[in-house]
Amino acid sequence: MYNLDMQKPIIDTETQCYHCGENCKEDSIEMDSKSFCCQGCKLVYELLQENNLCGYYDLQASPGKTQTHLGDRYAYLDQSSISDKLILFKEGDIAHIQFHIPAMHCASCIWLLEHMNRLDAGIINSKTNFIQKELHIIFDLTKTSLRKIVEKLHEIAYPPELNLKELEKGEKEAVSKSRIYKIGIAGFVFGNIMLLSFPEYFSEGIYEGEDFHVIFGYLNLLLSLPVFFYSASEFLENALMSFRQKVINIDVPIAIGIVAMFSRSIYEVVSDTGPGYFDSMTGLVFFMLIGRNFQSKTYEWLSFERDYKSYFPIAVCRLKGTEEEVVSVQEIKTNDRLFIRNQEIIPADVLLVSKQAQVDYSFVTGESREVTCQYGERIFAGARLIGRPAEVLVQKDVSHSYITKLWNQSSGKSESKSKYAHLTESISKWFVIVTMGIAIGSLLYWYPTDPSRAMLAFTSVLVIACACALALSAPFTFGNMIRILGKRGIYLKNTKVLERLSNIDTVVFDKTGTLTSAENYKVEYIGIEPTDLQKQFIASLAHASSHPFSRMISNYLSSSNHKLPITHLKEINGKGIEGWMQGSLVQLGSRSFIQVAETQQENVKSSEVGVSIDGKLLGYFYFKTSYRHSANNLLHSLKKEGYKISVMSGDYNFEQTHLEELLEQKDGIHFEQKPIDKLNSIKEVQSHGKKVMMIGDGLNDAGALMQSDVGLAIAEDINNFTPGSDGIILSKNFGQIGNLLRYAKAGHRIIIISFIISILYNLVGLWFAVQGTLSPVIAAILMPISTSSLVVYTVLASSIKARSLGLTKMRV
Amino acid sequence: MSVILILISFSLLVAGSFLIGFLWSVKTGQYDDDVSPAVRILFDDEILTTKEQPNSKNTDAV
Amino acid sequence: MTIEKFSYDNRIVKNFALATIIWGIVGMLMGLIIALQIPFPGLNIGEYLTFGRVRPVHTNAIIFAFVGNGIFMGLYYSLQRLCKARMFSDGLSKFHFWGWQSIIVLAAVTLLTGHTTGKEYAELEWPIDILIAVVWVAFAINMFGTIIKRRERHMYVAIWFYIATVVTVAVLHIVNSIEIPVSILKSYSAYAGVQDALVQWWYGHNAVAFFLTTPYLGLMYYFVPKAANRPVYSYRLSIIHFWALIFLYIWAGPHHLLYSSLPDWAQSLGTVFSIMLLAPSWGGMINGLLTLRGAWDRVREDVVLKFMVVAITAYGMSTFEGPMLSLKSVNAISHFTDWTIAHVHIGGLGWNGMLTFGILYWLIPRIYKTNLYSAKLASFHFWIATLGILFYAVPMYWAGFTQSLMWKEFTADGILKYPNFLETVTQLMPMYKLRALGGAMFLTGAIVMTYNLVKTMKQGTLNAEEAAEAPALEKNEKEHGGHWHRWIERRPVQMIVISAVVILIGGIVEFIPTFLVQSNIPTIESVKPTLHWNCKEEIFISVKVVTLVTHKWCDLSVPKLNAMVNIPKQESLYMIIHSNGDRSEQVRTYIVKEENIQMYGITII
Repeated sequence: MYNLDMQKPIIDTETQCYHCGENCKEDSIEMDSKSFCCQGCKLVYELLQENNLCGYYDLQASPGKTQTHLGDRYAYLDQSSISDKLILFKEGDIAHIQFHIPAMHCASCIWLLEHMNRLDAGIINSKTNFIQKELHIIFDLTKTSLRKIVEKLHEIAYPPELNLKELEKGEKEAVSKSRIYKIGIAGFVFGNIMLLSFPEYFSEGIYEGEDFHVIFGYLNLLLSLPVFFYSASEFLENALMSFRQKVINIDVPIAIGIVAMFSRSIYEVVSDTGPGYFDSMTGLVFFMLIGRNFQSKTYEWLSFERDYKSYFPIAVCRLKGTEEEVVSVQEIKTNDRLFIRNQEIIPADVLLVSKQAQVDYSFVTGESREVTCQYGERIFAGARLIGRPAEVLVQKDVSHSYITKLWNQSSGKSESKSKYAHLTESISKWFVIVTMGIAIGSLLYWYPTDPSRAMLAFTSVLVIACACALALSAPFTFGNMIRILGKRGIYLKNTKVLERLSNIDTVVFDKTGTLTSAENYKVEYIGIEPTDLQKQFIASLAHASSHPFSRMISNYLSSSNHKLPITHLKEINGKGIEGWMQGSLVQLGSRSFIQVAETQQENVKSSEVGVSIDGKLLGYFYFKTSYRHSANNLLHSLKKEGYKISVMSGDYNFEQTHLEELLEQKDGIHFEQKPIDKLNSIKEVQSHGKKVMMIGDGLNDAGALMQSDVGLAIAEDINNFTPGSDGIILSKNFGQIGNLLRYAKAGHRIIIISFIISILYNLVGLWFAVQGTLSPVIAAILMPISTSSLVVYTVLASSIKARSLGLTKMRV
Repeated sequence: MSVILILISFSLLVAGSFLIGFLWSVKTGQYDDDVSPAVRILFDDEILTTKEQPNSKNTDAV
Repeated sequence: MTIEKFSYDNRIVKNFALATIIWGIVGMLMGLIIALQIPFPGLNIGEYLTFGRVRPVHTNAIIFAFVGNGIFMGLYYSLQRLCKARMFSDGLSKFHFWGWQSIIVLAAVTLLTGHTTGKEYAELEWPIDILIAVVWVAFAINMFGTIIKRRERHMYVAIWFYIATVVTVAVLHIVNSIEIPVSILKSYSAYAGVQDALVQWWYGHNAVAFFLTTPYLGLMYYFVPKAANRPVYSYRLSIIHFWALIFLYIWAGPHHLLYSSLPDWAQSLGTVFSIMLLAPSWGGMINGLLTLRGAWDRVREDVVLKFMVVAITAYGMSTFEGPMLSLKSVNAISHFTDWTIAHVHIGGLGWNGMLTFGILYWLIPRIYKTNLYSAKLASFHFWIATLGILFYAVPMYWAGFTQSLMWKEFTADGILKYPNFLETVTQLMPMYKLRALGGAMFLTGAIVMTYNLVKTMKQGTLNAEEAAEAPALEKNEKEHGGHWHRWIERRPVQMIVISAVVILIGGIVEFIPTFLVQSNIPTIESVKPTLHWNCKEEIFISVKVVTLVTHKWCDLSVPKLNAMVNIPKQESLYMIIHSNGDRSEQVRTYIVKEENIQMYGITII
């Protein structure tokens, strides 16, 4: 259980580094009456201090990250076979490289990263792209190296993301900007056509005598061409496509409206019978495009579809005889011997060759708990080695590992999601039928008496009954909601997720790491009550170690008093720590370490640390995972609102009774679920017509997350592994899941109300249209008023709802 | 009011050239990142202040 | 590729800063003189210092000399740093500086000696117009050259505002200044009557938009974040705000011609676009103010930020007021009254003045590598200037409303209660005096600033060549750079040639109106111009103004004359009424009526 780092000298000092919070060594650097553990920390402090940026240290004590333990972690970057793949391009001695830096988050980050040339003289230029969290560095190969730069970045606590995915990605696909072009052109044309149309609207006779309207009409026609053929192309093409597939989507009524307006306008201009509806048409296209763009808000720096490769290292150390060589992960073959260092992820399924190793499967299971493996034991790909380096033998190459299979198994896109009928789509079908009905009806009504008016009425109905509002309310409502949620640490993949969320009736939780939290260990002590002095002994010893359990013990004893000096401090990796204080030998560690005979209750499911003083066992500290604080309330309120709840866990059933109490129900609690079981049981629920939301984490939930109608991944921080999911929610916002569901339902209501409003507007327009008396002015007034009032309504309503739900109070 | 035709053509000319400017700037990625540039303009003076006190602080660190 | 060493040209910045200060004092002094001339008519001394002569000197000095040099000061400072490049050509910089100063001197001399085209804000005669065009093109080349050889790929939003200014002002100036010279100091507009009025206010409004607003927004987006040392509140908003402003601003001009003989639809057009402008303008204001969010404690201490906050607030106020004034119902109250003067000065004193002061206080110590001589004096300047604005604006608003109400007041018999214009004037005397006090306070502040800045310059030394370094812009970064623009970027000289050709073509195109106008306006034989003007198609009726009460000439339009009033030659106190042909007789009859002659103190010659 214990793996204290032996190399780290532990000294009796309270000094902590101002930058990173690490204990300072005896050679700590003093500056401005602050201590720093190393030059790196001091430099970062200096740089920031000099420039007063962002209150870097005011926001959080010791925000930086530890500056030590780099070792030769990045040694593989010296291999040209690897660095060549990473470098964007080289020109002589000048090379360009682009890093993804997840830690970039504020103005001082930009400042620091763009001043890299002060930290490394070989760097010529460094430029950030904050939106993408990317850093573009141009450097001189003769003065520095890729490894040095990466190490420097690591030192200043902005480690770049270097993983297998980076190697494999080819040309970065250019972000499509065509919609922005379309909006720009439509906006430009709309403004100018409006200008040229005003004379007609305001003329009141004076204008009649002059022949501007002919010139203006043709000018409008000319201007509207790029809008019709370029800006509006996506609506027209989509409509055409849906015709072919014999389904009606929202683009069909829009396209009908656009075509009707455009052709009617051309007719009017050419026949000199009127100014046409160019302004309404271009305005419509402009607003529609803005709506589409508003809706397609994405978190570019977040990846919802990360696959396991994003977490695999680029290179590993392979042993060839006694020699080490760095090879890229793709080159690993069966029976290769690998040397894995502290904090490295094991990229393939392997057998342990070393005597013992500590690994952490958090990446796979979502819960960080260390597991001890013995010689010959199998370790699966994705495990992170903790502590002592280990030697392993590759069993299967990367593409055949268990994790890869698990991934491939679940990455088939679930059917249920793509088939989902959207509210807008289903309404637009009726919309088309009704408007076409009215249009044809008015055509037939007028035709016998007044054929020209019949055509007029027919086109007018199509012009005015454009699905403008219909198409805009969902994008603006959901677009705004997704933004509000994003600010509160709930990141949804797209607006469709919100729509699906509003239909959820069943919520499935994963237990480990979802309902429980790896951070919330509960410490319990069972044994002889220690005296105050003994408590002080234990606390002082625990404080000297950086192991998480030791810290928890230290906190548990909450000894604010003076730490005692320790002599003969000894820490054995993975075992425990001991030291002499005031003539007493104090030991903390596993049963074997404190040399206590293995006794009863072997089947303890929680982790434990024994404590002995002078060879006498005092007792044990137990560490139990505990449920998130908000879990109780959440489950309770969800049940009250009529959601069906169930919990699935990969663990054994030793906590069943506890869970039953928590859920106040006996059914729907499943233990010992394999990933495929989880997936199947969600399928099973869905087959009964239920809409399922799955909340989970880790790769073992990936299949279930994808199968469910909405899969939410819980993450301690957004750069954690989040398997293919529809949304990522920060674990501290776990309690807000109920609000999320309520909010999604409210959004659904808002859209329906906005549809009703738009129908009212349409009725006004139709009243003119069926009589054949719709003038362009009415269209020009009705269209922007209905559009803007709907946009304002949807955005305001969704913001107010967020406020009333208390979503605005949450923090990221 | 024929002069309005002239004014319109000039206005269109100016607006059109700005439209081209807009398309150019989107195309060349001017607006790919709308956070860093706003921060970046604050930098230049700081470069100068440290340049004037040549590396007294930084030499030991680098 | 290595890091290139270069230096920023601070001398040109200093020169423009000095010019800003000097012309600012001159312009404000002229303003004070005309403000005093209204309550104290005796101050109309001699030929050259009459109200009619000094007023255009005041407006021109403030707009083109004070604000103009302020723009160039801020632009030359910020552009170099934003582009990480020295100005394209030192020679062009010098030419620009001295060319612009000589224009100002020539303007002052010609205007005071009575040589004017009679177009507001474009009073300068044709030789000076040509000089302006030449200097402006030199400036444009210098600016675009700098942008082309920049070392920072991203063009900060301020640069876009500068580009908009340079391009649009050039077009506006050229289109509006097409005139037919009759002598070295006299020319006549190529457009006639209401057409001239339309062109004039298309220019006039856009001069406000693209000379007083866009460049200063650019300066705001650079200097406010710099002074506050924090990035602009939302850079995205600033980008959207820029493009929206650019696409809309150019159409708002006709709102200056509400209730004129301009066709109704053109007036409504101006109204609609002015209203739409509210959104982007306030976008800019909110962005500016919110940049200081969380730094209000510093605003309390830092005088630079204080000036900037007042400036941005004034911008917000006047851009709200502007669209409101363009509504016909509001305009019915404000038109021809002192409300307009108040509105203009909220913009001029508040937005342009205060922002210029803020920039000066921030910039001068910086290029002189020293601290401000006295923060106390600067603080005094801030308070007296702010109070000055209040003392100026409040009485003017008051006066505007009073005027409007008095003009529209009828007796029980349905006759105007105050038919004599003088009655309103005497009523407003206290307001005019207070206004002059406000102006004097503002001027005092500027003089204190001058002292403070001169002392600051004395205690420091000009860092004329500020060293800087930056890597050159790599050529083949990012393939999506588009081929045509890289082609242009690599060929600055060709680029300049092309732009020169474009400008030439533009110039030729601009002469077409002359021919167009000829065929469009019917000639009325019965009315002949009194002078030998060769624009036959236009109706001129010259009236001699006997008593010069105020510069409110336009009162002639109150009884719905539907005529445009202009003042071509101040020294003989002539007034010319440009009118649509078919209404000329009416105008003439109206003016000839005895009571009018009495009321306005005019005689026909």
